[in-house]
Amino acid sequence: MAQTALNPKSSSPGSDWKKWLGVTPFFLFAILFLVLPSLRLVMGSFTNDEGRFTFANVLQLFQQQSILDAYWLSIRISAATAIGGGIFGFLLAYSVTVGGLPKPLRSALITFSGVASNFAGVPLAFAFIATLGRTGFVTALIKNLFGVNLYTQTEFDLYSFWGLSLTYMYFQFPLMVLIMAPALDGLKREWREAAENLGASTAQYWFRVAFPVLLPSILGSMILLFGNAFGAYATAYALTGGRLGIITIQIGAQIRGDVLHNPGLGYAMAMGMVVIMAISLMGYSWLQKRSERWLR
Amino acid sequence: MTHLALKNVSKHFGDFTAVKDFNLDVRKGEFVSFLGPSGCGKTTTLRMIAGFEIPTEGVISIEGIDITNKAPSQRNVGMVFQSYALFPNMTVAQNIGFGLRIRKEKESDITDRVKEMLAIINLEKKADSYPYQLSGGQMQRVALARALAIRPEVLLLDEPLSALDAKIRVSLRAEIRSIQQKLGITAIYVTHDQEEALSLSDRIVVMNMGEMEQVGTPFEIYNFPTTVFSANFVGTLNNANGEVVDPANGTLTVDGVKFESATDLKSRKKGDKVKVAIRPERFSFASEIRKANVVDAKIENITFLGSVVRIQIKIGNTRFNMDTFNNPFLELPKIGSTEQVTCSKEAVLVLDE
Ligand SMILES: Nc1ncnc2c1ncn2[C@@H]1O[C@H](COP(=O)(O)OP(=O)(O)O)[C@@H](O)[C@H]1O
Ligand SMILES: [Mg+2]
Repeated sequence: MAQTALNPKSSSPGSDWKKWLGVTPFFLFAILFLVLPSLRLVMGSFTNDEGRFTFANVLQLFQQQSILDAYWLSIRISAATAIGGGIFGFLLAYSVTVGGLPKPLRSALITFSGVASNFAGVPLAFAFIATLGRTGFVTALIKNLFGVNLYTQTEFDLYSFWGLSLTYMYFQFPLMVLIMAPALDGLKREWREAAENLGASTAQYWFRVAFPVLLPSILGSMILLFGNAFGAYATAYALTGGRLGIITIQIGAQIRGDVLHNPGLGYAMAMGMVVIMAISLMGYSWLQKRSERWLR
Repeated sequence: MTHLALKNVSKHFGDFTAVKDFNLDVRKGEFVSFLGPSGCGKTTTLRMIAGFEIPTEGVISIEGIDITNKAPSQRNVGMVFQSYALFPNMTVAQNIGFGLRIRKEKESDITDRVKEMLAIINLEKKADSYPYQLSGGQMQRVALARALAIRPEVLLLDEPLSALDAKIRVSLRAEIRSIQQKLGITAIYVTHDQEEALSLSDRIVVMNMGEMEQVGTPFEIYNFPTTVFSANFVGTLNNANGEVVDPANGTLTVDGVKFESATDLKSRKKGDKVKVAIRPERFSFASEIRKANVVDAKIENITFLGSVVRIQIKIGNTRFNMDTFNNPFLELPKIGSTEQVTCSKEAVLVLDE
């Protein structure tokens, strides 16, 4: 009795499950789209054609050179576009925040970035083929204006490593702009003034204060960009038609059942991707925590 | 000996005049406050001394050397910001040592100086903490140490206590004053809080709408305000409209009631309309001390304010507040009764608009 009187809310039987009702959609979502697929992945990775337990699939990941090459290619493309898009996006974000470009330009860039960062897959591949492909609009323009054929007279090839990287860059740098603009806004004017007041030049301020403060955000964002490119499939497939064997395309080939049909191996390769993504996300959240503390 | 001097300093932002014709000589080791309401140009003036704003007109000099157009980084002036502005990526010790490291001093000298500063602000134990691990008061002490570590010519403080709790505000303000006196450093302190300015300063500059209203010691500012603005901004005040009767002996009337004032009225003529101000605590009941200015007052209301009792009185048709110290033996008049009250000639201030 006494306890009920002291604590009437929490002991009433109805309120406990009501409290949970609000988060049910989240858990439903997590179970359907995260837990179950992951379980399926793990189980599939350890199952052979006859449905029995096996280590063969996972072992094959490390034994088959073409698979290791595919991972490595994906990592290189993701890293290249994360760094390239990261630097370019940072510079753009800098110029519309600290750089003091006019306000309308800033909102225009942010809006563009919001759209472009989601522009991927077949439409993006097609847009690049139509502009920078062999018969693309820009390719033709360059030929007419400067008399240079990009494909016969230079190393350029849209369907290569750098071509795909360039295409990825189109959604990478806007994502960087979206993440870095608020971080750059978080740099307090007083930090710059305090540094100047203590005798620091602009370069010293950037080198000793602004850049170290931003570094966790920059690295964290680049990890996000890495993951963003690492998981991409449709853009690469539509652009190169499978000529560039990145890991997602290889997995597709195993599961869809072309010549390479081996679903168990496909699952194991996907699990490998999940592991790499998980490691980068851990790095991301660690860096994120650091910068949140600083930019409070 | 003038240490810091501002001569005819003005600052315009476009058409807007933020600071107008500011003139001030500050002695070495003096603590001067800029006091005024928000937007009156205190920060702008301080930022011109620091070099973050360049005056539109006028000259700022330290030890006779013109620094008006020098870059902030070349001035050797320490600044403490309202928002602390500690570098979040550095420990307390690194923050304090920042200016010395920029000056490329020897690492062992830096270590010694940082230790010395940590001792002054009583935060030795926090040397390796990061700013986010400190309380507001601790952060502001570190900011103070960081500004002082470079041995600046002048220390500038822009509302350094505004973001802190009332209790810490009072204790830290005493600490700032004692550190400033111990080091003998020249300090300019910006505040909109009259109590802060009165308790800290050697001199106060009262500012209003970009202009200096009055410069003086806290005693002078409080007891002998020269303008309506500075009289009202510092302390509580009764305002009334008066008319000069005899400029030669300082007599005037308020609603026909005659008062004598110690303010010099020689520049005025008989019949001039003037602003008259009397502080509430300068009134007393005539039965206590009988002097000049004994007038009839109707008791309208009585309010307890803790250590003070505020009595609303009406003289002629003008309402005044009268404060008397509270004590258990105080005999209060009846509301509605008429009593004789008095105030000295010195208490009757005749002010410029
Ligand atoms: N950079 C600026 N541009 C335009 N107006 C400014 C600028 N800085 C300050 N002001 C204006 O100058 C006036 C005085 O500001 P400030 O010196 O900050 O006042 P205070 O510190 O006394 O509150 C304010 O009206 C403010 O809006
Ligand atoms: Mg201010």
